[in-house]
Order: sequence, then C-alpha cells, then structure tokens
Amino acid sequence: MTSAPDKRPAFEPASQLLRRPEADPDMKRPTATVAGAVLVFLRVLAGLVVLASILLQWRETIKDIDVTVEGTPSTPELAQGVLIAVVVFLGVILLADAALAFFILIGHNWARVTIMTFSAISITGSFIQWWTGNQVITITGSLLTLGLDILILLALSSRSAAAYARRNERR
Amino acid sequence: MTDEPPRRRYSIGVAVDWFFFVFAGLAAVWLAYLSLTDTFRVGWWGFLFALAFWILLAYLVLPRLHRILTTIYVPDYFIGRARTSDGLLGDPVNLALRGEADQIHAAMAAAGWTKADEVTLGTSWRIVSSTLTRRSYGEAPVSPLFLFSRQQDFAYQQEVDGNPAQRHHVRFWKCPDSWLLPGGTRVDWLAAGTFDTAVGLSLFTLQVTHRIDADTDIERDHIVRTVTGADPRVQVDTLQDFSTGYHARNGGGDTIRTDGDLPILDVRRVAVGTP
Repeated sequence: MTSAPDKRPAFEPASQLLRRPEADPDMKRPTATVAGAVLVFLRVLAGLVVLASILLQWRETIKDIDVTVEGTPSTPELAQGVLIAVVVFLGVILLADAALAFFILIGHNWARVTIMTFSAISITGSFIQWWTGNQVITITGSLLTLGLDILILLALSSRSAAAYARRNERR
Repeated sequence: MTDEPPRRRYSIGVAVDWFFFVFAGLAAVWLAYLSLTDTFRVGWWGFLFALAFWILLAYLVLPRLHRILTTIYVPDYFIGRARTSDGLLGDPVNLALRGEADQIHAAMAAAGWTKADEVTLGTSWRIVSSTLTRRSYGEAPVSPLFLFSRQQDFAYQQEVDGNPAQRHHVRFWKCPDSWLLPGGTRVDWLAAGTFDTAVGLSLFTLQVTHRIDADTDIERDHIVRTVTGADPRVQVDTLQDFSTGYHARNGGGDTIRTDGDLPILDVRRVAVGTP
C-alpha cells in the first residue's frame, strides 16, 4: 500500500469497448435472458397455431394449392406432397427454435447469436419490403411477428443477456 | 495455465454483440414508429397502442439510444458522479469512507439504517405493490447506479412514515485498490446519498422513477449525523469544496444543489460484532 498508484490515463482507447466482460460463473440469470427465451417460446407457440390450422383444414388447403411445374398441370397428389413438405419443414424449424430457446435459457452464447442472426435477417427483410412500399405493416398484418422479432433481438442483445451468455469466458 | 498464449485484449464476439446491440436499437426505433402510426389508424383502441408506444419508447428504445450515445461521449473515469444503467449521469458522490465493509455494515445498522434488497423480479413486484397499497417495505431495493464501471456494492435506506415513495438512501462503492481521490486523498469507499421525495416521471428517460430532493447536502449531513451520533468512535474529516459541480441534474432530470463539501467517515475503529 506504500507504493505510489499508477496515474490514471487521460484517454480511453477504443479497444476498451471490445474488452471481454469480467467472467462471472456465479452470475444469476438476468431478466433479459428469461424474457428473450420466453419470447422465442411465444414465437414457437404462434408457429404451432399456424401448423395446427393447416392440419385441421388439410383438404381445404390442398384445394387452394396450385403447383405448376414445367407445364405439368397441378394434381392433388402433387399438392399433397408439397403440403407435407411444408408441414415437415415448419415442424423442424419450430423444433429447432424451441431447442435454441432452451439453450439460451441455460446460457449458451452460440444459441443466442444464432437466434439474433436470424431475427436480424428477418427484420431487415421486413424493413426492405416496407421501405420499398410493397408491404403495409399493421397490427392485423405482420406487426405482431415483426414486433416479436424485434423484442427478441432487443432482449438478447442487452448487456446483461450478453454478460450472462459469456459468464464463463476468461478475460 | 502459464503455458497458454496471451489472449487478445479485444474480442470479436464482443464486437458482434455491439453490432446486434446497435441494430436492435435501430429496429426498436422503427417498431416504435410503426406502433405510433398504427395508433391513429385503429380508432379508440389506439390508446392501447399509445400505451405500447410509451412503454417501448421509455423502457426499450430510449435506454438503448442513451446507452449507445453515452458510451461514445460520457467519460468513464471518476467525475464525482455515479452513472445510471443507461450511462446517464446519476446521483452525485457526496460521501467517502475509510474502513472495511463489515465495519460500515455495523456502523450503518447501529445508526438505524436498513440494508436494501437486491433487485429481482420478486422484490420489484413487492415495491410496486407496496407503493400502490402504501404498505411499508423497509428493505425495498434501490435502482442500480454505476461508479468505476461497477454497480453499487450495497445500499442502505431509511423509510419515512412507512411510505416507500419517500426514503433516505445511500449507495456504496468500493474504490479500486490504491485509488486516490482527485487531490490525492486516499479513501476506501465512496457513497452517494440522496432523498427520494416522490414517485414521478423522469424528464430524460420518460420512465416512472423516484424524484430526489434537490438539496443533496441535507441528506449527506443526515447520514453523517446519524452515523456519528450512534457511534462516537466514527471520526469525520471533511474535504472542503470537493465537488466538481454545485448545480447539476441527475439521471432523472432532477436538479441537484450542493455546497461541494465531501465528508470522509472513518469507521476503522468500529468493532465488528459488538453493538
């Protein structure tokens, strides 16, 4: 304690901003992480509703599908095949989404970054459509899904959520 | 452990975090704009959208924008002010201490102060319900303020007439090792004491928050008086005209007035474990 303290620097280098946060393995799960995971689960729930409505109205949906491949007229068999493919694809996406939400909750950074990346891509797509005037975003339309995406991104990109996901990283 | 190569001082992952942090802020501005324009489209139900707009703006968009901007232009070294979690300037640092944490706990407890709970979902809910029902909540948590880039280590408070809207409170931060105050005085702890007068809307952030009494000297002197009055072993030493600003605003937009003195409470002679 007798040694003279280092003089404080009069500037803060920009690389200071990219400093790793202090590792804190005992960190409690912050609200932002919980909120982000819950919102992703809500998105899964919304997807399940869509999936259920397709399954419940299977015959009506098939009639509406009009697949024309290289001049061959659409057949009910082809429409059925396409619909099954869509349902399976949607199911896999929802399953992956739910799994990622779980990994976010237990604090894995890769899951957080993956979800944020896909949300950012989806938001950018909506923004381009809105800006070019091709899509009107209203509450009856896509405002809810867009809002969900933005809220997910906000929650998961917050400093506390980031610190929690990186709580085991050594400085 | 010693054989590992030295790691880079910066992290690409943190840079990616910053990208998403700023991206989300911009996206939230857009979402707020969309919900505002929808307000006028849907008729009477629009007030729900107006409410959603305010919540979005006050609790998600503005904090994010403040955080990004203050990171750029508010210095992070000691300027005699604590900072809010958004990076705005918060309560003034108006008290210093010498001694160990246990001795401070003993001195504060003897002087009739209550240690504040940590902020959690449960305690946050309790502070809302106790404010609405005007019930007493003596250990109500205080909001986090930052000094030395760290949240306060602990906080103490005194309720006034059992009403959580009004309270005395003081936050404590441990100084970094071998850290000196500007001017060269060595202290172990810094503290910021203010008096909450009512619950109101913050001017800068539009959030519901506590308004603080402008005359922070009254609260500072109240802390010094109660602590020294309860235990004569506590010594007081005052740095005259220490404060960098005599008139200012805190993070909630409340005015602050002070005579600029910084009392240093010396609790090193307080015995721990004895009343």
